[in-house]
Amino acid sequence: MKILVCVKQVPHKDARLEISSDETWIQDESIKFEINAYDTYALEEALRIKDAGEAEVVILSIGPDRAIQALRTALGMGADRAILVWDDALAGTDSLGIAKALAAVAKAEQPDLILTGLMADDTNYSLTPPMLAELTQLPHVTAVVKETQQNGDIVAERELEGGALEVVKLPRPCLLSIQTGMNDVRYASLKGIMQAKKKPLETKSLADLGLQASDVAPKVTLEKIFLPPRGKGAEIVEGSIDEIATQVVTKIKELGLL
Amino acid sequence: MARTLIVAEIQNGALREATLELVALARKLGGELVSLVIGSEVSGQAETLAKQGGGKVLLADSPKLANYNSDGWADAIQRAVSAEAPDLVLISNTPSGWDVAPKVAAALDAGIITDVFDIENEGDELAFTRRLFNGKFNGRFRITGSPRIATIQPGATAAYEGSDGGSVEPLEIDSAPPRSEFLEIRMAEAGGHDLSKAEIIVSGGRGLAKPENFDAVLKPLVDALGAQMGASRPVVDAGWLPHEYQVGSSGQLVQPKLYVAVGISGAIQHLVGMKSSNYILAINKDPDAPIFEIADLGVVQDLFEFVPKLAAKVKSAKGG
Repeated sequence: MKILVCVKQVPHKDARLEISSDETWIQDESIKFEINAYDTYALEEALRIKDAGEAEVVILSIGPDRAIQALRTALGMGADRAILVWDDALAGTDSLGIAKALAAVAKAEQPDLILTGLMADDTNYSLTPPMLAELTQLPHVTAVVKETQQNGDIVAERELEGGALEVVKLPRPCLLSIQTGMNDVRYASLKGIMQAKKKPLETKSLADLGLQASDVAPKVTLEKIFLPPRGKGAEIVEGSIDEIATQVVTKIKELGLL
Repeated sequence: MARTLIVAEIQNGALREATLELVALARKLGGELVSLVIGSEVSGQAETLAKQGGGKVLLADSPKLANYNSDGWADAIQRAVSAEAPDLVLISNTPSGWDVAPKVAAALDAGIITDVFDIENEGDELAFTRRLFNGKFNGRFRITGSPRIATIQPGATAAYEGSDGGSVEPLEIDSAPPRSEFLEIRMAEAGGHDLSKAEIIVSGGRGLAKPENFDAVLKPLVDALGAQMGASRPVVDAGWLPHEYQVGSSGQLVQPKLYVAVGISGAIQHLVGMKSSNYILAINKDPDAPIFEIADLGVVQDLFEFVPKLAAKVKSAKGG
């Protein structure tokens, strides 16, 4: 069985984010990056399937050179090989352009299962997984919190609202987008990191995938990124820590709760 | 805007509030309105939508659509799009909406933006606004080509309350069975930690840095206030506390008299679960944290210094 896991490298969750000078993205020159948290659960699930039997886990990412670090981490955790796609034309594309590039690789790789995170922690779009499924003609299910392999099928539980779960059976090949918290994500061991250096890591351009820049021309543009307008907002208590605590206690008393 | 198609959603036998929010948004933008109702034996709901402002209502009614499946829903939406040639398609950003909308966009090679909370007319163009980076920033977007597809955050717009005489027309759908098979909907195992009746909830987030700090730092404040402890999603995902502590759209929806958010930045999925609280106190060292937008009272301090101080003061206030 071959499992393709799509990962995105995103700004580290503790990175201090500032808006870029052209106000169309964040300043990302000097911040730390990491594998998107949602994707780490997808990767862990793939590695668990591998641990339980025979499977090859292939990591696929789209991103500039810095994304190689994310792929090395994934290989260190136990993935078998990695593919990085980059091209200047992908810098300004939209989710559908990304999905088209992912689909070109998926069609060549012919995996039995594609796992992705539900969304990326930077954009929060949650667009590429169902798009990739459509472009590769695979059935899909999003926000999966549990999956079990059952005679060539997959039984997946997807998260609905208010604690409800929907149980769905899909034939393989198929695509699952994974919700956070599905499993306990492993760390790359030192031995794993050493071994990762010898594992195959291919880089591909759009031309390598049989695509042209016009194929990934964006239909969606982010024109401006800005801080949310301040509403009334919270009344911020000022003073020394001691004074602030006293004022907060006074407030709780006023509420009749002390 | 010339023509908008909205995709209705039925939950527990009735139109979702979110559907009437789509009606309101489409009407705000102006132009013609067409609605699509998908389900099995849902002509009554289609009639209701026609009367409640949905305009011309297309009805995709089939036993194979009794439960949500992306193949059946995508087929119905794509057929409605090809029959009506809308310029804009609005779908609620619900578990069904976010599952099907990107699939439809890929099939139609159309531009899509998800979880939009506002759309505005700008001349002949539309400007779409949504959150980015879990609410830290907003982004303003444009889509070229047609149709433009947007999923809309439930609750972002008030529901349409007018009434208008519309019509209902059947929509032919593909008879092929979906590739995925619906088995059941069940509730996640409920734990013993019910927050729905708590007067005071003190919730901890990733700012607490490690699981031991829930006992060491948060619990003394919880005990001093006679409160119950809650948590944000990252805390539960990391396994620091069981799922039954989670407050948010995928956890418990709470409305205590006092909600204290400690080290919680305020991702939208958390805010949905606690914004109806009577009074919200937020403690976070980042003054830009979105939690301060909806809190009543804010403390911008290092929680490890402030929370023990507050716990001590609460304790002595109770003693005296």
